Amino acid sequence: MNTVLSNIKKSTDCIIEKLPAIGLLNSLGLRKGTMISSMTIQPFGGPVVIRIGRRSVALSRDIAEKIEVRQVG
Amino acid sequence: MFFKLAISIKNINVKGLFIVWERLGGEGKMSCHTEKKTKVSEKSQLKVLLMGNPNVGKSVIFSKLTGMNVIASNYTGTTVSYTKGEITIRDSKGTLIDVPGIYSLKTTSPAEEVAVNMLENENADAIICVIDATNLERNLYLALQLKKKNIPLVFAINLNDVAIKQGIQIDIDALEKELSAPVVSTVAIRNKGLRQLLDKVLEVTGINTSNSYEDESSDDELWKRAGDIARNVQSIRQSEPTFLEKMGDATLKPFPGIPIGFLVIALLLGVVVGGGKGIRGGLLLPLLNNYYVPFVEGIVSRFVSEGLLYNVLVGEYGVLIKGIEWPFALVLPYVFLFYVSLSFLEDSGYLPRLGVLVDGILKKVGLNGGNVIPIIMGYGCAVPAILGTRAATSKKERIIVASVVSLSVPCVAQTGAFISLLGEQSVITLIAVYLISFFGMLSGGLIINKIIPGKTDPILLEIPNLLMPDIKSLIKKITIRTKHFMVEAEIPMVLAIAFAALVVETGALDWAARFIEPFVGGWLGLPKEATLGLILGILRRELAVLPLLDLDLSTIQLLVASVVSLFYLPCLSVVAVLIKEFGLKIALTISIFTLVTAFLAGGMINQLANIISLFL
Ligand SMILES: Nc1nc2c(ncn2[C@@H]2O[C@H](COP(=O)(O)OP(=O)(O)OP(=O)(O)O)[C@@H](O)[C@H]2O)c(=O)[nH]1
Ligand SMILES: [Mg+2]
Repeated sequence: MNTVLSNIKKSTDCIIEKLPAIGLLNSLGLRKGTMISSMTIQPFGGPVVIRIGRRSVALSRDIAEKIEVRQVG
Repeated sequence: MFFKLAISIKNINVKGLFIVWERLGGEGKMSCHTEKKTKVSEKSQLKVLLMGNPNVGKSVIFSKLTGMNVIASNYTGTTVSYTKGEITIRDSKGTLIDVPGIYSLKTTSPAEEVAVNMLENENADAIICVIDATNLERNLYLALQLKKKNIPLVFAINLNDVAIKQGIQIDIDALEKELSAPVVSTVAIRNKGLRQLLDKVLEVTGINTSNSYEDESSDDELWKRAGDIARNVQSIRQSEPTFLEKMGDATLKPFPGIPIGFLVIALLLGVVVGGGKGIRGGLLLPLLNNYYVPFVEGIVSRFVSEGLLYNVLVGEYGVLIKGIEWPFALVLPYVFLFYVSLSFLEDSGYLPRLGVLVDGILKKVGLNGGNVIPIIMGYGCAVPAILGTRAATSKKERIIVASVVSLSVPCVAQTGAFISLLGEQSVITLIAVYLISFFGMLSGGLIINKIIPGKTDPILLEIPNLLMPDIKSLIKKITIRTKHFMVEAEIPMVLAIAFAALVVETGALDWAARFIEPFVGGWLGLPKEATLGLILGILRRELAVLPLLDLDLSTIQLLVASVVSLFYLPCLSVVAVLIKEFGLKIALTISIFTLVTAFLAGGMINQLANIISLFL
């Protein structure tokens, strides 16, 4: 099932299907096909925190809304 | 002073490099190798560049190898310009260069530009590429990009102690084969593996690498290769996460993250405000009043008879008394304890987590969670805070942070002065001043966000491992910062106090006060001595507050005077940094903005209080 990253429930694994062309996303390892999991979503329009590999990355919700993911497991 | 001088020299260099780079154009890059060889044989000095992802320990390695002390903290973007230092490899001397960390060769911030410019233009003889052992794949991606540059490389697999605790093992020999370059496992803070690193540098610089490696692989292929290598050389023992890993995750979640955030801030305030008061009242003031003051007065009165000179030395604004009391007894305890707390927070890796929690609020004033770090640094001193914004990706963000820090974040010295002024007499006023400061920060941000065109970049922030700060590094950092304060503050303070003494004792103050009486007295409702603070406050922020001590002001006067000095002009050093970073026009605009806000806010509080008192 495809959805956007900002809609993913906490601690579910997913694979990135499509993402905006932001250079820093790529250099942080967020690419098409990368497996990530959502850790938390902050209140008051705050960021989504995801886990990629063993590291956490905070992504603003505007960016997360543009990242299409496929849930797995 | 020295510190600032060093930075300004560095900046000129960076600009110089830009020019050289532009002049050389494409040709410059092609002639890289021939140029390099002549340079080396001429000076026979090795030039080694430290590069790698952000927050992997480059600055620690630099400090250990050169004996110089550059600041290292546990978050992305600690280093924002370069530092060169001398190293000795075997018998020969060489230069080591610490640069900001980068995620890839495509830069996104002024700080990252510095790193890539150094790579392109310094003609380094070798690069030490520092790799975070707890995040191998992404670090290898940059490593493979660097490899394309055909400069001899040595790899340091750093933070190995943390990796081992997390159950990660890296096969160094296998990695060496994969990268066909020397790989050394290091623990920078314990000085482990660093000597060996330099030995390897000497080995590789002898080898001719030019054109030995033609790599045309695409970005995708680099990522794939990085992933393959990581899988081949790394074994991860699946185990229960460590306590710090669990805490690291917990502090990121709204619950328990937000309560923990409040707890951390409460603890910080407790340590700085409570502890500072304890040291000041329990130790320093008694020492000063019971021993130092009688001693100095005794000596001075033996040689100098009552009169102008006597008063300048030990009178109301006596240089020998206030010149010691103000910086050391009243301000230093807070400076010291603030830097203890700040350094601990920086090294733990907690600050970016706090940034994530408050991002939602900061977004509304044109900032993002990442800006929390320079803002918190601003509570120490605005100079490093403004320099720190170089790690931010948009100019607009940099200007907003610099403006709100200049406008309404009191530096620690000023905080010390506020506590001295208000702590005993009216704690409520003290709290009010900090609430007004917070409010000023948000509304200042809101206004500037509206005025400046363009957008600020949304948060995209790597969260570091939560680490237990290393005590030795911590002590060093606190010592450097505290010393820096003493050197920076003492001379201007003594000069300012001498000036104050002269102005008061000669009657010049009464003369000057006649002119500004309508303003200071009428609009702000303050006594003429407050003028002194406004004059001295241009020099240093705490000097806008300290002359108000012993004036017996009413609570409203205290509030008005505090608010004026809070928003008042940032100190001279800050104006200098603003000019350097953003140019004269923006620096002047920010300064005028702060000045107008100060008198507007202070005056309004006074007038409001007057009106209310009519009805009471
Ligand atoms: N436990 C442990 N901590 C380390 C080690 N090396 C560095 N650190 C810590 O890691 C953090 C980052 O170190 P820095 O030297 O500031 O990293 P940097 O690569 O210079 O970072 P930027 O300047 O932001 O690119 C600091 O808090 C160091 O104390 C290590 O080998 N072991
Ligand atoms: Mg650094």
